[in-house]
Amino acid sequence: MLEIRGHARGGQGMVTAFEILAKIFSQLGDFQVQAFPAFGVERTGAPIQAFLRVAKKEILNRSNIYNPNLIVVFDESLLDMVPVFDGLKDQGAVLINTEKPRSHFADLGKTVYTIPATRISLDHGLGSKSLPIVNAAMIGAIGYLFDANLDILQQTIRKNVPAKPEANAKAAKVAFEIVVGDVFPNTYLHERMHAVGNNEEPVVFNFVESDDPAIGIEAPFWSMPLSKNKTGNWRVVTPKYVDRRPPCNHNCPAGTDVRQFVKLAGEKKYAEAYELLYEHNPFPGVCGRVCPHFCEQNCNRNEFDEGLNIGAIERFLGEQALNIPAERVPVTQKEKIAVVGAGPAGLTAALRLCEKGYAVTVFEALPHAGGMMRSGIPKFRLPDAVLDQEIQRIQDKGVEILLNKRVNIHELTDEYAAVITAVGSHVGTSLHLDNEEELSLDGITFLREFKLSGKDAGIKKGDRIAIIGGGNTAIDVARTTMRLGAEPTIYYRRTIKEMPAIAQEVEEALAEGVHIRFLTAPTAIGKNKKDQTELTLIDMELGEPDESGRRRPVPVAGTEKNLCFQKVIKAIGQRFDDFVFHGKEVEPKQGWLQWADDVPVFCAGDMAWGGTVTEAIGSGNKVAEEVHAFLQELEYHPEETLPDIVLPKDINFTYYLPIPKHRDRVKHPEDLYQNFEELSAGLREQDIVAESARCLHCGDCYSCGNCFNFCPDAAILIDDQGRLRIDYDYCKGCGICAEECPCSAIEFTLTEMAS
Amino acid sequence: MKTEILEKNTGLNKQASRYPRHRQLIMKGNYAAAEAAKLCRVGFVPAYPITPQTTIVERLSEMVSSGEMDAKYTNMDSEHSAFAAALGAALGGERVFTATAGQGLFYAHEVLHAIAHFRLPMVIANVGRPSIPWNIWSDQSDSLAQRDTGWVQFYGESSQEVLDTMIQSYLLAEQLNLPVMVVLDAFYQSHTSENVWVPDIDLVDEFLPAKVPGPMSIDIDNPKAFGGLMPPEHYNKLNYTYWRDAIQVEEKAEQIARDFATLFGREYHNVEAINIGPQTKLVLITVSSITSTARGVIKKYPDIGLLKIRLFKPFPKASVQEALSVLPKDAILAPVERNYMGDREGAIFQEMQRALYGMPFKMYDFYAGAGGKDVPPVTIEKIIHLARTNPKEVNWVDIS
Repeated sequence: MLEIRGHARGGQGMVTAFEILAKIFSQLGDFQVQAFPAFGVERTGAPIQAFLRVAKKEILNRSNIYNPNLIVVFDESLLDMVPVFDGLKDQGAVLINTEKPRSHFADLGKTVYTIPATRISLDHGLGSKSLPIVNAAMIGAIGYLFDANLDILQQTIRKNVPAKPEANAKAAKVAFEIVVGDVFPNTYLHERMHAVGNNEEPVVFNFVESDDPAIGIEAPFWSMPLSKNKTGNWRVVTPKYVDRRPPCNHNCPAGTDVRQFVKLAGEKKYAEAYELLYEHNPFPGVCGRVCPHFCEQNCNRNEFDEGLNIGAIERFLGEQALNIPAERVPVTQKEKIAVVGAGPAGLTAALRLCEKGYAVTVFEALPHAGGMMRSGIPKFRLPDAVLDQEIQRIQDKGVEILLNKRVNIHELTDEYAAVITAVGSHVGTSLHLDNEEELSLDGITFLREFKLSGKDAGIKKGDRIAIIGGGNTAIDVARTTMRLGAEPTIYYRRTIKEMPAIAQEVEEALAEGVHIRFLTAPTAIGKNKKDQTELTLIDMELGEPDESGRRRPVPVAGTEKNLCFQKVIKAIGQRFDDFVFHGKEVEPKQGWLQWADDVPVFCAGDMAWGGTVTEAIGSGNKVAEEVHAFLQELEYHPEETLPDIVLPKDINFTYYLPIPKHRDRVKHPEDLYQNFEELSAGLREQDIVAESARCLHCGDCYSCGNCFNFCPDAAILIDDQGRLRIDYDYCKGCGICAEECPCSAIEFTLTEMAS
Repeated sequence: MKTEILEKNTGLNKQASRYPRHRQLIMKGNYAAAEAAKLCRVGFVPAYPITPQTTIVERLSEMVSSGEMDAKYTNMDSEHSAFAAALGAALGGERVFTATAGQGLFYAHEVLHAIAHFRLPMVIANVGRPSIPWNIWSDQSDSLAQRDTGWVQFYGESSQEVLDTMIQSYLLAEQLNLPVMVVLDAFYQSHTSENVWVPDIDLVDEFLPAKVPGPMSIDIDNPKAFGGLMPPEHYNKLNYTYWRDAIQVEEKAEQIARDFATLFGREYHNVEAINIGPQTKLVLITVSSITSTARGVIKKYPDIGLLKIRLFKPFPKASVQEALSVLPKDAILAPVERNYMGDREGAIFQEMQRALYGMPFKMYDFYAGAGGKDVPPVTIEKIIHLARTNPKEVNWVDIS
């Protein structure tokens, strides 16, 4: 009988190698084979043994091999750790995976074969430097010692390795061909394999078994410090605290760090929260009131109970500005910049450039700054004082605003190094109906004139008003005319689902008594016999989706009807005032415009894209970066790649408690007539703190301690700053922390073996 | 020399004719158990992994997912659940298999009683390992601790025997409506690759008929509830019928083994007597893989015999008595125990003692190999030496 003993580390593939060798030997003739491993601890890197018996007859021994004929060493570093060569038969041989010359092992006094199996394996892409999988090369070398048929050897390897059959077969072939040694063939090993006779040597006993061996109770224990047993090197997959992007931040067009300002608000660090918010948004008081809050709409908490009332938190923080003085920014740049339009985009761009040290002048056509915030949003949604205060702060920082200055680019080219056009969309669009000019009013103009000069267009108590459109302008017009005592009805050609107005505004309008007729559109406007304004309306139905993805409204023939109104107000869309381009045909778009004149011209705000205050602010932030980069000749790369967003599927909702949303305190007056008071009073401080506590902290560790509690190896520690940290000396990479993290703030990915 | 060996390198073995309708493969014990489940056309495998059993259920999952085996495979959340699922499926009339080891078997203990007393035929494999202090190596204390649950227990010596015994066990289980546990030694069998003759499935089909519903199977035309309270008079009667069938196991198993030998060509018995005759002065008594090593050692000693216990529960009293009846009165018996059951004597000694009541032989107990302690030939030699020179009634070998 031939007996082979192998020494390796767990993970090098020796157990598989011995199983494959058993299969190979069984094909070399009529052999009985027996191969099995002996594990120490069950883990990668631990020293293990494997045994192989090959015999011409039944193998009557199922125990470890103590006196092998051949010892094979898969890992050279074991030579200093384990008594690898113990019990080797006098005539026995060793095969070692090494780059060293055989002379290095001369002291053994045995027949030595060497094979650089690690190098061969790495050459064939088997395993990594830290954990080379050397088994195929070792099989090749062992096979050569026994004159195995290379075809059988390679075939058996291909069939039995768990991965990379070709690379393994090739590595075995290389090893088969280059194994080094003095004795070929090794007749001793061949004889042992083919021996038929009983080779059991007689055992002579002359021992005395002790009557009562003195043994104490040995329960398992570890008596050395844990630092002697760092288990981190078992790890192949590593958890890591990460900062992933939450949906609120991702969906804020202004780029606000929503998650963080909510967190700071919850910690009552209001000034800090305000400063952070202000970095992206100089109009928190405005946005807290009028933004549709894309953050809130996309809040992962919507999947659990209700999204956070981020608007109320933002509004509250906006009020903190009163406690924080604005400091004037000194001019440090030589270039002067002109901004046309003092709306949210223009003022934001101006502020950002002012903060970078530029002298910025904003030209505003109207007698008040604020753009659409001033002229288009009624006072009951946005009181003037809030807007005044936020604009004043921008001026305090150093931005110059010139009012009543309707300018075009040519007036600015001499003095300014760059011009930003941000004139908004203040010109209403047409219904393309006969008599439209004489018989209807433009909604956006009505709102502006009413707000700036109190002109009510002669609307009286009891007037029936038709408002055509479905956007915010239509809603604001309707709610304003309600307050003038009129009875407004909105006619919208699609359904409530397609309505572009902010849902909450629609709800409030309906609550105030505004009528909305859906799937209705005007086809004519004229005067009836009694000289009343008569509107012809037709029913619509929804057809195929149009280019906007919404279903196209199609008139239903024969459904026309005529209705009389005191006023017809259209609010079907706005465009920009092209006076700024001085008669030149320009297609506005975000950023630098292809302008032929000397001065570089940029564009931002509603005239370029968007339609909400927050989008205009984001547009202003961006254009300021681009102008700065242009003037300083820097590279400008707007963010293009889609970041990794934390989605509801990443949240472990089990670890959160349902908490009702804190709703704005809204007061609807009994009588709306001439009442332009703000409806909403926001939230009180204690509710702001409580609402902030509803945040799920998507993608951001909030020290909940789940990882600390669940880690089976106590490998989570709290550092001197009170943060949870992973102790990589002991983390075995089980991944329970990542699995149990409520907010997806722990990444768990395959890494190189930890150092 | 090289040419000569190359000529022998002609590929697959030339012994193919030794067992017709078989293939010879190199297979580890765990794979032999999985292979047997496939050959027996097991229809349901509830699985939960545990070292050193894991490769059994891994192999089964491979075979099921590749379509090689037509069965339903379900990952369960614990061994308790796995055995409960096995119980349910067996009630449904399915042929069921699962495998476990050590702690897993301990955890399933309660359900083992339920399966047996519901009289549900099934076969499971247990790869023996002990409990705390943590140990994954070979030991029989886990399955021996289930002696009284009502399960039939076979202990295999080789991968071949595991495969063959599983096939016989399904027949036995379904004939007597009893569950059977086939026990393998950890590593020495579970992870040992060796020559195994694998029968063709149609040969197995000839031996093991398709599963038919048993007396406790669910019959949708005749609905009934299971698991309700059983009053004393019924319980007593149920135990009587259990006992009546359990005492047939010894004879039935022997009959099944005879039929198996006829069809498959390999002979098994409840106990195997090696070199036991009037000349024998000492008989080693073994179960499982230690038997192979003992076989090798006693070849040198014409006056030493070996009794291998293959059917352990119900203990084959008649077979043991018959095997030892030829011994001289002064013969010595020496069980080798790879178990410690919390009593003075080991499990084999205890069972042998009651089987031998009234017989004249002296018996000395030898504990060796608990928790995977290797039992090489030299340890067997030591046991022989001690038994023949100065034995105590109970001896521990290789502890100092």
